[in-house]
Amino acid sequence: MSVRGQGTTLFSAILVLVATTVVLQLWLLTFSMEALLRGNYSTLVPAAIASTVLLAINAGLLRYVFGFDREAQRDLNR
Amino acid sequence: MMNSEFAAIPEKDGCVACGQKDCTQQDFPIEWEGDHYVSRREMVKFLTLGSALLAVANWAAAFGKRFVRRNSSEVKLLGPAKDLERDGYMLFRYPTAESPCIAIRTPEGKFVAYSQVCTHLSCAVVYDKGENQIVCPCHRGVFDVNQGRPVAGPPTRGLPKVKLELRDDQFYATGWEA
Repeated sequence: MSVRGQGTTLFSAILVLVATTVVLQLWLLTFSMEALLRGNYSTLVPAAIASTVLLAINAGLLRYVFGFDREAQRDLNR
Repeated sequence: MMNSEFAAIPEKDGCVACGQKDCTQQDFPIEWEGDHYVSRREMVKFLTLGSALLAVANWAAAFGKRFVRRNSSEVKLLGPAKDLERDGYMLFRYPTAESPCIAIRTPEGKFVAYSQVCTHLSCAVVYDKGENQIVCPCHRGVFDVNQGRPVAGPPTRGLPKVKLELRDDQFYATGWEA
């Protein structure tokens, strides 16, 4: 299998992980808005922190994708 | 009948227009494998951007609590307490002229006040003296008179409760309960 073929499979798996975390973030935002309107402020900051942690996971995965892409480009140019 | 311009170039030898083999590969030089690779990579980038926006929105909600009207602690005179009979109610505006509220004296003699805006679709709620409950006439939403909690109908959130204070037989609205 070529490097790009491997990359396609790898990116599909990463895409599933990223999509799952984005769905979790959407749920957190919905929960936060509900809490804000209900006047229950104690859960807002923990929800925002959890959302930031999920963003950090996504950013790490994106960094990996960029790194892999650089390797794939180098392989193609060889 | 075949066009004479292309008659000299048999199709099996290449493109009937330019005569070259695999000319479509020159026009579209990206293979399917490369196309899938790029589309998935771009989708990961797009979703990560969406993830960043969602995190920002979550922090905005966390800091937005200070802008919510319920934190108002403005003190406003509502009128003499004796004007509010048992089982009676009065309407007032708090904290601004655009915010209708309702003050109720329950059969037990307790004074309570809530926002008059239904948490379902913003109709004005009214006090049902016979049933001793707050009712939204639009969709038959019912709220508990002592706590403002929804007890029937479509509303899922309680009515925001106004803090009341009695000073020298005068009623004052002093803020919102969390």
